[in-house]
Amino acid sequence: MNYPIWEVPIIGGGWLIGIVAIIHVFVSHFAVGGGLFLVLTEIKAYKNNDPIILNYVKKHSKFFLLLTIVFGALTGVAIWFTIGLVNPQATSALIHIFVWGWAIEWVFFFVEIAAVMLYYYTWDKLDHKTHLIIGWIYFIAALLSMVIINGILSFMLTPGKWIETRSFWDGFFNPTYLSSLAVRIVTAIVMAGIYGLLTATFIVEKNNRHNVLKYSSKWVLPFMLILPVVSLWYYFTLPDIPKEIALGGISFVSQTAIIGIIVGFLVFLIVLIFGYFNTRLFTKLIGIVVMILGLSIMFAGERVRESIRKPYVIYDYMYSNGLIINEFDVIKEQGILKSAKWVEIKEINEENKIQAGKNGFKLYCSSCHIVGGYNDIKPLIVDLDEETIAMMINDLENYRGYMPKFAGTEAEAEAIAKWLYKFNLENKKEQ
Amino acid sequence: METQVIIPDIDPISVPAPIWLLKILLLLTFTLHILAMNVAVGGGLIAAVTEFLGKKNNSQNHFELSRSISKMLPPFTAFTITLGVAPLLFLQVLYGNFFYTSTILIAWPWLSIIVIFILAYYGYYLYSFRWEKLEGKRFVVVLISALLLAVIGLIYTQNIVLMLTPEKWKEIYFNNPHGTSLNLSDPTVIPRYLHFMVAALAVAGLVVIMWGIKKIKINESLGKWGIRYGILWFIVPTLLNIIIGLWFLISLPKNFIMLFMGENIYATVYFMIALLAMFVSLILMFVALNSAKPLAKIIIGKVFLLLTIVMMVLMRHELREAYLQPYLNWDKVQVEPQWGVITIFIILLLAGIVTVIWMLKKSFGQKSNVDPVELS
Ligand code: HEC
Ligand code: HEM
Repeated sequence: MNYPIWEVPIIGGGWLIGIVAIIHVFVSHFAVGGGLFLVLTEIKAYKNNDPIILNYVKKHSKFFLLLTIVFGALTGVAIWFTIGLVNPQATSALIHIFVWGWAIEWVFFFVEIAAVMLYYYTWDKLDHKTHLIIGWIYFIAALLSMVIINGILSFMLTPGKWIETRSFWDGFFNPTYLSSLAVRIVTAIVMAGIYGLLTATFIVEKNNRHNVLKYSSKWVLPFMLILPVVSLWYYFTLPDIPKEIALGGISFVSQTAIIGIIVGFLVFLIVLIFGYFNTRLFTKLIGIVVMILGLSIMFAGERVRESIRKPYVIYDYMYSNGLIINEFDVIKEQGILKSAKWVEIKEINEENKIQAGKNGFKLYCSSCHIVGGYNDIKPLIVDLDEETIAMMINDLENYRGYMPKFAGTEAEAEAIAKWLYKFNLENKKEQ
Repeated sequence: METQVIIPDIDPISVPAPIWLLKILLLLTFTLHILAMNVAVGGGLIAAVTEFLGKKNNSQNHFELSRSISKMLPPFTAFTITLGVAPLLFLQVLYGNFFYTSTILIAWPWLSIIVIFILAYYGYYLYSFRWEKLEGKRFVVVLISALLLAVIGLIYTQNIVLMLTPEKWKEIYFNNPHGTSLNLSDPTVIPRYLHFMVAALAVAGLVVIMWGIKKIKINESLGKWGIRYGILWFIVPTLLNIIIGLWFLISLPKNFIMLFMGENIYATVYFMIALLAMFVSLILMFVALNSAKPLAKIIIGKVFLLLTIVMMVLMRHELREAYLQPYLNWDKVQVEPQWGVITIFIILLLAGIVTVIWMLKKSFGQKSNVDPVELS
């Protein structure tokens, strides 16, 4: 209501954030788990006096540096950029509540970046012990930055007592804080193994690969078994409505979850067969396939987590269209067009009704429905007449989709309905 | 329709720190960000010119220098982002309602920063890691990367200026709500931007001087050449920047020019000190150019340049407050400091700095003692 709305064609802002976030999460979890992987692998190489593993971990660390420090860091900034563009009101709320959390995360980020560069540049310059300490510093800083950011991210779904107390700590240590942290840490370790398998096929000569592959598989296999357990724990810490959505309240959400589980099982099998038992058969192609499958699991997980938050962006505090729940009654009184700052039409009359409807839709619905794109509105109303659509809008929260209550006036609902009904008319003409 | 200016309301959630603390942190981290950016962008441009001259004159000195710069570019690019994230945080708490709005108007150019940055960053790594192998292509690789980074600065300046001019928002948004607008038509944008970029060359010139000083112990003629070359990179851009700075000043609306001419005591004093310090550093560098023992002059010159930069940052801040003065009343902003978390932040910040210094000391401080049983 407060900010201008930036419409992203076809995929919509939600998916834009989703895509950027998933890419970032894929790299940033590796940045955490991979840190542990580096130090433990380095220790193993010294302990067994194993030149193959040592050479491998050195080269792997170069890949690690180039991926995390450039791609990881910038996709992180990209999330900032996109949420500020798509959800400025929510971003503003988060930054007002948690700016010091982010400032603390930034300290860890800073240490992380310095440590990983030095770790890479000092391979042959420092004694083993000091080099390892720098590696540990990297891993601890990376882990702690996850420990912080997890508080802010889990807050969005379960703000818990913050709703009443408005206290930083209540928001930070919210009901899903621990369970989601557990999911993240286990995921980070699995990611470390998946990346390890892939780089092994590029770095290590075929005849020497066996040990490295087997070693990397041990990072994946047991933790793939723990992942469903922590995910289940996470599920049980959710409030009722998100649980309901995940179990089929919105069909695509439960479908996504099921696909995620199946793909997870597939990854486990592939790694077990080719990464652990039959390492001779583990090729670059299989490494890449496992990587893509891993990406799809994350994709599923993130999508589910985002979808079960409907219709909120910050649960019980703000709808995904930026409306703050506390302000609902005031807005309902005067309608959304008058409350919104960035619309040209304030009063509806017969001439501007369609245009007003278009504006109303943009304000209230476009965060979830893109015309001709994501969650397209056209097929959802195709059989309905104008009055029915208006009636549905006035009663939005009672239809499928877990939509927000409508904060507009009846005249605004009619205007939106009139504009939407135009699509049905166009449809009929074409046929 | 009415012509009033639309400004989004301030967030209903109170600001979790005193405004002065946030402003100090904003200005401090911004200064560091700009210094790192200067080396990343200015250094890249100097490297490109140096590659070119080296090839043209077949000069080993030039290649020695460009090889050294190539190793500096990736870490300083990393510092530029890392030190950019912090002011991005504080800017949003302080000026979020202005910043988010202007960003939405230029959404796509703004997002393109990410892609441009990734390309340029990998370009720098390519230049650094493959320096020998690239040979003739080095000039192109480093030039393109540096120019890409410089484009990011132009997008930043457009946004940072657009957020200060809410009068323009309405027309821009209602003509084009798709987020593909730019803000190049503002007469202050180009001079403001050039002011930053030309300064970047001068600051990177100082880094070249430092390199020369370090080399003198190993190879005297190379070191001396480096110092002279660096001083030229400092002096020429700085002279040019006097003109650009003036251009920037007169491009501002009249009432803002007057701020620096006595109307606002802080702005005026900062301006005077900045000018004075700049002239002192220029003169010292001129003298150092033909001096047999330039070291002391260079160091004092650097201190004065740093003073100039700090004053410029403060002037820029006064200018921002003046732009926003009709739209932003700090007394109306609700503040509820989270002192507990702030304390934790400060302790961790100090611990973080100590940790980084320790690591740097270990890595560069002592002679490397490579393990006798070299495994690889
Ligand atoms: C929080 C996101 C969200 C918002 C905001 C939202 N919707 Fe929906 N809407 C959905 C989802 C999800 C569905 C379910 C789609 C499906 O099942 O395929 C849906 C379904 C619908 C349906 C079909 C309902 C049925 O039972 O057949 C209509 C009509 C509709 N939306 C109209 C609107 C209108 C008009 C607005 C704005 C006033 C709006 N929506 C705002 C998410 C949203
Ligand atoms: C190499 C690429 C970059 C260049 C050349 C660059 C350059 C600049 C310049 C010139 C300004 C001043 C704008 C003005 O006042 O007119 C600026 C401001 C700023 N930059 Fe950067 N920047 C770069 C990357 C980044 C990144 C990646 C971030 C964030 C992660 C960032 C964060 C900021 C912030 C927050 C400001 C505004 C501070 C303020 O107005 O107080 N920059 N940058």
